[in-house]
Amino acid sequence: MSRSLRTRVYYWATPALSLLFGLAFLLAFMLGGHPVAGAIALVLMLVLAAASLVLGRYSETMRGLMDRRDERIVSLDQRAVNGAAMVLLLVLIGATIEEVARGRSGAPFTWLAAVFGLTYLATLVVLRLRA
Amino acid sequence: MELVVAGNSVRALRTGRGLSQAQLAGAMGVSRQTINSIEVGRYTPSLALAVALARYFESTVEEVFDVKEP
Repeated sequence: MSRSLRTRVYYWATPALSLLFGLAFLLAFMLGGHPVAGAIALVLMLVLAAASLVLGRYSETMRGLMDRRDERIVSLDQRAVNGAAMVLLLVLIGATIEEVARGRSGAPFTWLAAVFGLTYLATLVVLRLRA
Repeated sequence: MELVVAGNSVRALRTGRGLSQAQLAGAMGVSRQTINSIEVGRYTPSLALAVALARYFESTVEEVFDVKEP
């Protein structure tokens, strides 16, 4: 895939995924018997998609996050994801400890922490084999 | 061997050619903010971008970036 095509695909990925998730929310809410909530969720995701496209035109940072061309912005994004993942992991561990202390199994936090840990290890192995 | 980038001459080379940060950013395929961050020493570019900058200014990486042992 050429760089310009890859850039375009990345650029449109954010609004496209927002639309896709919006439709998934709509379907889920409709199946759950709450079509109005589903419509609201879809509208919110459409607003997010539109906002990303508008901001992408005026903000270099937003455009960089979307099209992944700028190595510095991609690096900032990766560091922000690392930080957010670390906070999420601490929350999962804390919630697991609290649930266990209350005499419960710790689910679903134990499962989420396990998915997090196993995904990390699998990713590390794949990256290690490739690099 | 550990090396650090102690400074660079990107701003001098850019202004010497009468280019704006936005024009250089466009030529390099990065944002204007990234060119500014490189110029003020807040961001050390990847090897690929450092080489691209050096080639753009018809220079070498060592001439554009002041690389030293800490």
